[in-house]
Amino acid sequence: MKRFSLKYALLTYRLDQLWFPLAFWAFFVILTLLLNDQEINFDIARGYIGVATPLIGGVMAAYAILDDPAIELRFATPIRAAQILFERISLIFFIQAVNALAFIVFALFIGVDFAPLGNILNLHLSWIVPTIAMIALGTFGAILGAQTMIGSFLVGLVWIIQIIIRDAMTFNNWKYAYVFMGILNPRHPDLVSNQIALFAASAAFLFLTWLLLHRQERYI
Amino acid sequence: MTEKQKDNLMIQITGLTKTYSSGNKMVNALNGVDLHINSGMFGLLGPNGAGKTTFMRILAGIVNPSGGSIRVDGHDLTTEAGKHTVKSMLGYLPQELGMYTELTAEQFVDYMAILKGLDDTRKRNKRVTEVLEMVGLRDVAKRKIKGFSGGMKRRVGIAQALVNDPKMLIVDEPTAGLDPEERIRFRNLLVNLAADRVVLLSTHIVEDIGQTCRDLAVLAKGRILFRGSPAEMLKATEGHVWTLTMSGLDKPNHDLTVVSMLHLAEGTQYRLVGSDAREYPNAQPAQPGLEDSYVWLMKQAHQEVEAA
Repeated sequence: MKRFSLKYALLTYRLDQLWFPLAFWAFFVILTLLLNDQEINFDIARGYIGVATPLIGGVMAAYAILDDPAIELRFATPIRAAQILFERISLIFFIQAVNALAFIVFALFIGVDFAPLGNILNLHLSWIVPTIAMIALGTFGAILGAQTMIGSFLVGLVWIIQIIIRDAMTFNNWKYAYVFMGILNPRHPDLVSNQIALFAASAAFLFLTWLLLHRQERYI
Repeated sequence: MTEKQKDNLMIQITGLTKTYSSGNKMVNALNGVDLHINSGMFGLLGPNGAGKTTFMRILAGIVNPSGGSIRVDGHDLTTEAGKHTVKSMLGYLPQELGMYTELTAEQFVDYMAILKGLDDTRKRNKRVTEVLEMVGLRDVAKRKIKGFSGGMKRRVGIAQALVNDPKMLIVDEPTAGLDPEERIRFRNLLVNLAADRVVLLSTHIVEDIGQTCRDLAVLAKGRILFRGSPAEMLKATEGHVWTLTMSGLDKPNHDLTVVSMLHLAEGTQYRLVGSDAREYPNAQPAQPGLEDSYVWLMKQAHQEVEAA
């Protein structure tokens, strides 16, 4: 039994969760067109795909599971915790991916050169890894605290702290938890270790979220 | 228990407890509940905060019990596997019914049917139409839920609960906020449904239970105060109900509860419930109603707590 419908997953998706990332996307596009400088365009492009996209994804993920008006009815059906988790956050990631890819296409179209970020794999890992990490953190925070606000607060806190102390994050052991290394320090010697560590942390957060989701009474 | 009752046995609850932490203190929502519930309509009556919703949510597999055992059709609800199986045969209408109001009634019921595992589109469409017909919403099936009245939303709620033809139907305070006509309609629907399944009706409205259930339990402060039929509940109250007409502004006292008052030409007629009315020689013994029985049970429970 599949117990899934893409049609209804989309129909029950809150529209503000589409407008919110789209507004950011439009803002960065307009900014790029207004400033229209090749060097600045690159910074705007990497700022959008590798810094803004993870933030938006993380904040949206905090709302993904708990901000469901029919959550009690959903919990009374035999769908598994893993399905609820996957169904909700994959849609969030999909929206971020579409926006990031659309922005990359737009940037390439106006002549932005992404070569400083490395090859095509590195370019895409530079937004995929932090976006997944922030989505996992946002979901975990919300489920741990049983409040959407806690997830979005946690995402915002990690995001702002890492932006402020970004240079310090590249040294000592914090470098493995540095979410923006791929986009801001693409030539860092420990980039691969950083991305593996972030993937592992994301997997751990999602696993813990899955475990916590079994205690449905906390969320109704 | 006879062999026939055993065969028919559907829900077995033994020593069920549920403890919540509220701030820095622990709250016992359920204190050692023992119940055996068979097919048919079962009513759970109790005041607000008695533990009814917690009890219903445990039976729906949403809330984990703190202790005790609970088996539905032989499946252990304290295990993940048991919960999964029970949810497959469950229809649930929660007290606070949240819905996707941008969907039409038909879409909402269809979506819930998919979540419950009805994969065959043709069979599912047929079933969705059937249940919407059953609750009288066939004509408005294509309308968005956000335009529905409270009663219509409740009917959508019952339609989604029925879409998987559940063996166990749990309805928590289903008539709250409905007008009298809707309430009657809803009660009749539940009685019809109880013909071939377990229907658990939780309410604080005595009348709803009296009109529908042949088997009921009264829950207060997480404990079962009474278990039996409405007739047995009435019998247990015999000798504890009186009517008394008094003139002037004085009200009857002496640990008697005024269930109702009626202003007459000769004074005010009170309906009283209590252990005895010897302080009032004019008090006339009255035939108890279910509401009197409920008040008497609550009164006894309160006294027990005070004595403790």
